[in-house]
Amino acid sequence: MDIVKVERLTKMYDEKNVVDSISFEIKKGEIFGLLGPNGAGKTTTVSMLSCLISPTSGDAFVNGKSIIKEPMEVKKKIGVVPQDIALYPTLSARENLFFWGKMYGLGGKQLHERVDKVLQIVSLTKRSGDLINKYSGGMKRRINIAVGLLPSPELLILDEPTVGVDPQSRTNILDTLKELNKNGLTILYTSHYMEEVEFLCDRVAIMDLGKIIASGTQNELRLLVGEMDSLKIVTINEIPRSLAGAIKKMPSTNEVEIVDKSIEILTLNGRKVLPDVLEILGKSDVKVKSIEIKEPNLESVFLHLTGKELRD
Amino acid sequence: MRKMFLIGVKDVRIRARDRASFIMLLAMPLILILVLGMAFQPLWTDKPFTINIAVLNEDEGEISNILINDVFGSDELKDMIKISFVKSKEEIIKSINKGEIAAGVVIEKGFSESIVKGENTKINVYGDPEQTIKAGVVKNIVESFTLEVLKRRIIVETALDFLHSENLIQPSEIQNLISTWLSEIESKENIVLVNKETEKKDTKNPLAMEYYAVGMGIMYLLFATNSGAETIFTEKRIKTFDRIKVAPVSEKEIIGGKLFGIFLVALLQFVIIIIFTSIFYRVRWGNSIPGIILMTLSSVLAFSGLSTLLASLTKSEEQIGNIGPALSMIFGFLGGAMWPVYTFPGWMNIASKLTPNRWALDGFFNLMYDGGGVISILPYALVLLGMASIFFSIGVFRLKLKGV
Repeated sequence: MDIVKVERLTKMYDEKNVVDSISFEIKKGEIFGLLGPNGAGKTTTVSMLSCLISPTSGDAFVNGKSIIKEPMEVKKKIGVVPQDIALYPTLSARENLFFWGKMYGLGGKQLHERVDKVLQIVSLTKRSGDLINKYSGGMKRRINIAVGLLPSPELLILDEPTVGVDPQSRTNILDTLKELNKNGLTILYTSHYMEEVEFLCDRVAIMDLGKIIASGTQNELRLLVGEMDSLKIVTINEIPRSLAGAIKKMPSTNEVEIVDKSIEILTLNGRKVLPDVLEILGKSDVKVKSIEIKEPNLESVFLHLTGKELRD
Repeated sequence: MRKMFLIGVKDVRIRARDRASFIMLLAMPLILILVLGMAFQPLWTDKPFTINIAVLNEDEGEISNILINDVFGSDELKDMIKISFVKSKEEIIKSINKGEIAAGVVIEKGFSESIVKGENTKINVYGDPEQTIKAGVVKNIVESFTLEVLKRRIIVETALDFLHSENLIQPSEIQNLISTWLSEIESKENIVLVNKETEKKDTKNPLAMEYYAVGMGIMYLLFATNSGAETIFTEKRIKTFDRIKVAPVSEKEIIGGKLFGIFLVALLQFVIIIIFTSIFYRVRWGNSIPGIILMTLSSVLAFSGLSTLLASLTKSEEQIGNIGPALSMIFGFLGGAMWPVYTFPGWMNIASKLTPNRWALDGFFNLMYDGGGVISILPYALVLLGMASIFFSIGVFRLKLKGV
């Protein structure tokens, strides 16, 4: 079931299409990624979906509610985590959360419970009394996300939520989002960090110059450019050449080459076939020394589609 | 409505934690009231307000005697104006230099006769530059008197011309009639009336501390509302405005909330100033609590509206941060925060009525010195509320256009 349906959404500034007639859907319970370099139109897209700005043409629906005709209804269903840390620096984390909770119509016991819950999710309960301006960048980011989670949204929209965050906090944020998604939260995640999108997203739309140039699951996108995983296993003893045929019969495996004590396999999904390959080698008493998987990434997909790198 | 209230309360909470705001909006006016009040107390003594003047009457005629005996010596002015007679202009200048008198009045020889004959004549007033208020009062009285004399002379001349042309009067009677009619100036109601405002008539005399409590309190109201309006731009910069916009909060609630915040901060500031100055500076804000409440609310609303308008006309925190204080000072001085408006030249006096400061000050002074209540301050409050509605209407319209 689609929770978001975007139909030919367009935004023009000074007669220039910043977002150019894009369409996509987000299924309930998935993490959908919008990947693209700075200036691709990702923030403008999520700003329209958040009802912050109006589209020039087209429409989008969140749980069937139009962002143009029923913006208030849409706002009640979404939680938004903006790219910037939008918090009051001289209020404590808890005071900020209480204020934003009230803006979402929460109150009384429910508000207290939600504030405690989101503080627990972002692991900042103990520091919740501290003023925001005393927080580190990573902690501010976590509270920024906590605000988005306050109204128990059906859809959480995150716009580059890890910009300027240290690696440890980034991992923490991504793990938190994964966990939330496991519990059923639908997420729209924009980023220009390919690794984040690859780690988080079930499906991805790649944006450039206001257009969606490709979309699908990560495998679908890789297939689009015809690139495969390269699985290389180095062994202690020699590998019988007869094993090549058995391995090649495995699904989505394209090429198998055995040279003395190493085997190289070209496959659509190296990680998926690895256990089966190890089982076949094990049955022939071949002892594994090292394993290396080279996967074509979304960076190479973007490069293939646009002729430029994501960071350009 | 609830969200509007919450946005306003949040702004107050943020402001309360801002040390710079605290100093600017509370400590500064309270310090200024104390400093100005103490520095200028000699000019605003609580003892009977007296003005020492010297008079050189070279005329000794009927009309100059009216000025000295019936105007300066009237029941309304005799306790305030203490006259010493001198024999030369030099004595006057000497006394002024010594600070013994605030002003000297020189009535030249033949003054009364010239008036009767319809010839040009003059009264010279010398003032002590260090006693501008008192010298201003004397100048004001003399000016009012001469205007009144001039007015009556014109009326009399016109009437006599008519009577004479119709042969209803003999030429020999004309001089007698002129003298009789001019002597009616003795009634001098108009002259004293002009000075009612200046002398506060039979009411209490203002203390400097009281004057500046109102003057600075009102002037700093605009500082407070401007700093509130500045937060509209601050919230845009730190993106909290966008965050409120993506929450289920209507545009009306957002703008209303910000304006409520501006109003609330200024209201709290002014109430604290009233309470603090009442307790520690012994300022008498008047006996009518409803009057004080009405003046406070209408003043705060007018300044909140003005700042909303200013926010709608500016583009950034920097702009409003630069223009706001300058506007506060200009309006403050023009509205009478530093010096009483009766010392201003005529055009400035009129211009001051364009500022909310003037109406707020006059309203509070009415409560403090004229024993006024709600009814007597109603005109001032209504003007302030009228200003508030004009400022708010234009300001909100422009803010909406700007997409706030």
